[in-house]
Amino acid sequence: MTEFGLLFCVYFVARFYNPASFQSGPAEINVMAGTANTVMMISGSYFVVKAVHAIRDNQSRLALRWLFLVLLTILGYATIKSLELQWNLAHGITGRSGIFFTVYYYLTLTHMVHVFWGGIALLWVIFRTHSGGYNSHSHEGLESFASYWHATDLVWLVIFPLLYLLR
Amino acid sequence: MRHHSDNHLIDWLWVVLLALTLGGSWLGESADPGLALALFVAASIAIKGRIIIDHFMELKYANPTLRRLMRLYFYLIPLLILLVYLSHLYNIESPL
Repeated sequence: MTEFGLLFCVYFVARFYNPASFQSGPAEINVMAGTANTVMMISGSYFVVKAVHAIRDNQSRLALRWLFLVLLTILGYATIKSLELQWNLAHGITGRSGIFFTVYYYLTLTHMVHVFWGGIALLWVIFRTHSGGYNSHSHEGLESFASYWHATDLVWLVIFPLLYLLR
Repeated sequence: MRHHSDNHLIDWLWVVLLALTLGGSWLGESADPGLALALFVAASIAIKGRIIIDHFMELKYANPTLRRLMRLYFYLIPLLILLVYLSHLYNIESPL
């Protein structure tokens, strides 16, 4: 969150000095892709909560199902992001298209890297849950992943309106 | 255990988060840029952040310092949105 705090400072400074770019920029990027990815992030966060609740009830099979749904949201996010980047390139939108787009790529690609790390952590948590590594008394690994994932979601909940909606 | 009573609330909060997201996208695409849009964006970031921090991360029941620091993040960002918007509205330029 601290790292992204600095990146958001960059956004606000850039916006302060380049109001015209930031007012016209959101109309040129794909709001539907941003919305779909927000649905993926929020739903992933919700499924993680359900997995934690299930493991607290000692229902590891149920927790596993929720974790697979989280994996599905990450795959959905990756697919949407890939389509969005292709759409951008088809419309001539690159990191050199102007200050708004530089900040857009800077923020969204950094967030994507964090989602990727979260995906790797999720695979480990799924493996541990499947092999009976967590129960109602001991599931710190799952809770650590949950905290990381919620933070990744929180960051996206700021990025999405700043870049896709605010004109 | 607390999470049993929270289970229903979590389901509803997920629906609220989705509704705010879809409503925000609709407004972002259809509304003219202006104070109303800036206020909605600022408020929706504050509300969504508070829901995730308090209920999904369960910081409502955790260490107060940690909780306040996380909540502070979602007071500052909406405040900055409104300040930058107002600075453009009144053509305030950097003193630098």
